[in-house]
Amino acid sequence: MPPSPAIGGASEVPTQVFERFLEALSATDIPAEVVARLRKTLVEDKTFTDRALKAAVLSEEPLP
Amino acid sequence: MIRIDSITIKEFRGIRDLTLDFEGKSFAICGPNGTGKSGIVDAIEFALTGIVSRLSGEGSGDLSLKGHGPHVDSRNAPDKAQVSVKVTIPSLGKTVTVERSVKVPSPPRVTPSDPAVLAVLGQVESHPEIVLSRRELIRYVLATPGKRAEEVQALLHLDQVEQVRTGLKKIANACEKQLSGLNGPVTEARANLLRALGITELTKDKVLAAANAQRAILGLPGLTELGDATSLKDGLATPGPAHPRHSSKSQALADIRAAREALAEIVGVTTTACVAEVEADVRALASDPTVATGVAQDDFYAAGMGLIANDACPFCDTPWDLDDLRAHVQTKIEHLEGISRKREAAEAKIAPLVVLLRKNQSALDLLVRYGPLAKPPLTLRVVRDYIEQCAANAATLEALLPLADTIAALAAMSTIPEAVLEEVAKVEGAVSGFPEPTRQDSARDSLAVAQERLEVYRSAMRQQKTAREQAQRARQVSDIYAATSDKVLAGIYTDVQRDFASLYSFVNRDDEDKFKAQLVPSMGKLGFDVDFYGRGFFPPGAYHSEGHQDSMGLCLYLALMRHLYGAGFTLAVLDDVLMSVDAGHRREVCALLKKEFPGTQFIMTTHDPIWLQHLKTEGLVSGRAAIKFRRWSIDLGPARWDERDVWAEIEDRLKQDDVRSAAGFLRHYLEYVATELCHRLRAVVEFRGDAQYQLGELLPAAIRQMRKLYSLAKDSANSWGHQELVADLSVRESNFVSLAAVSKAEQWQVNVAVHFNSWENLGAKDFTPVAKAFRDLLGGFSCSHCGEFFRATPERETFDSMRCDCGKTNMNLLKKK
Repeated sequence: MPPSPAIGGASEVPTQVFERFLEALSATDIPAEVVARLRKTLVEDKTFTDRALKAAVLSEEPLP
Repeated sequence: MIRIDSITIKEFRGIRDLTLDFEGKSFAICGPNGTGKSGIVDAIEFALTGIVSRLSGEGSGDLSLKGHGPHVDSRNAPDKAQVSVKVTIPSLGKTVTVERSVKVPSPPRVTPSDPAVLAVLGQVESHPEIVLSRRELIRYVLATPGKRAEEVQALLHLDQVEQVRTGLKKIANACEKQLSGLNGPVTEARANLLRALGITELTKDKVLAAANAQRAILGLPGLTELGDATSLKDGLATPGPAHPRHSSKSQALADIRAAREALAEIVGVTTTACVAEVEADVRALASDPTVATGVAQDDFYAAGMGLIANDACPFCDTPWDLDDLRAHVQTKIEHLEGISRKREAAEAKIAPLVVLLRKNQSALDLLVRYGPLAKPPLTLRVVRDYIEQCAANAATLEALLPLADTIAALAAMSTIPEAVLEEVAKVEGAVSGFPEPTRQDSARDSLAVAQERLEVYRSAMRQQKTAREQAQRARQVSDIYAATSDKVLAGIYTDVQRDFASLYSFVNRDDEDKFKAQLVPSMGKLGFDVDFYGRGFFPPGAYHSEGHQDSMGLCLYLALMRHLYGAGFTLAVLDDVLMSVDAGHRREVCALLKKEFPGTQFIMTTHDPIWLQHLKTEGLVSGRAAIKFRRWSIDLGPARWDERDVWAEIEDRLKQDDVRSAAGFLRHYLEYVATELCHRLRAVVEFRGDAQYQLGELLPAAIRQMRKLYSLAKDSANSWGHQELVADLSVRESNFVSLAAVSKAEQWQVNVAVHFNSWENLGAKDFTPVAKAFRDLLGGFSCSHCGEFFRATPERETFDSMRCDCGKTNMNLLKKK
């Protein structure tokens, strides 16, 4: 009964999800700076508040 | 992750002072209920995480770490309650000591400490699931889908994943709502611009034609292009004091007309009918008492469904029928879903009314600008108040709740105060009295107003464009996140499900080798159905026995942990997790743990000595990597069976001339050790269905078996022509026979007079040689190098060898063929 090859557990599940999400996002027309901001928020700062996410997605510029 | 080398516990829970050497290996702690096993588990959890879940988790009531962590006699001195663990961190190749006291549980004192060490310990601290009790284990299996999802999510730290999913969705929804709110201003700006230009279609050609007609009157060159920066009044001198700016009379009258039309529309037949319909819908919603608190109730019912587990209400103990109650609560949840649909329908009908109110507000905003131009100027206070009322009503309608306010707003919007119409008439009268401007003045004013409104329109369009881009981006990001996380989680659940089924099949391969399971995530819930002998998939509690459910819980836990940590799954503390599993399947669990998790240190507690035996015979724990608690006292804490301590304690008691106590102690120890010897040597004992074997049955059987094994070993050596070995075995056998004879152990069955019952009547001087005789006899069963008792192998079928754990003793029992 060999362990499933998919069972790696090299990183925490949230990190796996965030990395795959950012990878998928990079393949779209979403601006690179948005992807970079989301990477900083999710992977580096590990901040998941609505405010931090909004700043990352919509940038810090004032809303119209 | 880490491995635990040793633990020292002082004044913690039921333990006064205890040190255990795990040596980084799997370890078993066995003892009857109440002998302090779980205290060790609590201590490990506390040392690694700073918490004791049984004192802080669900159902812990008034218990607390500070209040109940220390030994009861040190309850007012939490500083004395201390736990220290020495752990090895394989990934760093370091060994560190982690110390905590109940007085200051966090941060721990780590020696030596560096950022890499603290990072690893921090990771361990954030994963208290390394300690698992049966109570926690069964949560994975028998919980409701919603609760199970929470448990699994907590284990996998999916709360962060869900938090981000919710956050991104919220942002996307907010952006779309904001975009929707900008449609009204664009429509209004467009209408105002059309009116200013006197056209009905907003095309470049028509705008340019209308503007150029006015420009021609002023002798200005015609515009050929209408770009983002084009000014319709390009070249027109800024009006100075000689040519004060005054509004175009015709424009003003057109704006007032538009305001009247807006007012008329809001009280028109169509709108009134629409308002009446919406009001009826909202009143219907309001008549349902559950609507106002619908959202809160939805959460309440969902939580309640998870708590319907026992046969009676937890508040008043009134018995209830579980199925009836579940059906009743489910009806309420479905009722709320119906309300939610009605609410969405009402909101859809309200949206055009909000647009009308905003239109009214915008038209009147233009109108009030003409008030100051009247002579004397008009303040138009009533109209201004009405504008504010329109804005407030629009906001109320958009919010929908509270419903009473919405009903009031609907009622208010159908009526226009007479004073408003009177002030509108006053403005109209004043504007009508304005002198007719010259053709040039009129053209100049028209261009100025048109340009002003073009800029408003451009600004509104820019805002809408930006908002649209943001809404599209936010939605795209949210959708991609949802799709990606679903895919990752589905992959995880597929892997875990496959691994779980594989582990469970291994344990139950005697009758469920084709076992399958389904982990189905859906809407924040995690369904868990298992195959029942090929008859379909059912919840684990439906048909499987409690024992099967226990092993399912363990297998699911192991599958999740393996997924979570992979090769980093180096430690698990299992507190009596398989109490409902029968002996045969526990043995399979041992084999499973050894085979599938060779890199994991399991620290296990059990009240069942047979389970301990299985752990040893399957090689999951070595002979010395286990302790057996024999009793617990409030003053001393747990007391264990330790060979070195046993003889020292007997000696101490004899020094105190307490033969009765020493004799009882020796008897208990021999009962324990004779069971172990019979098991290891595969001794033949008359079978007893109640498994209540007497010492007089066990020890003689072990001695007979030992002699038989020596005999087999000699026969084997002879067959191979190893005469020196034959001689050596003969000496060993002879020595053993002498030791047995001195102990008189074999006579017990035939001579009750020398049975242990008579020992307590001996004096200390007489009993000392008895104790020595048994100590020597047990030495005859042991390896002189490692001190471990010999073992006949294999466990079943024909013997092939007698050996010890260290391998220094290995007697071949098979003859040459």
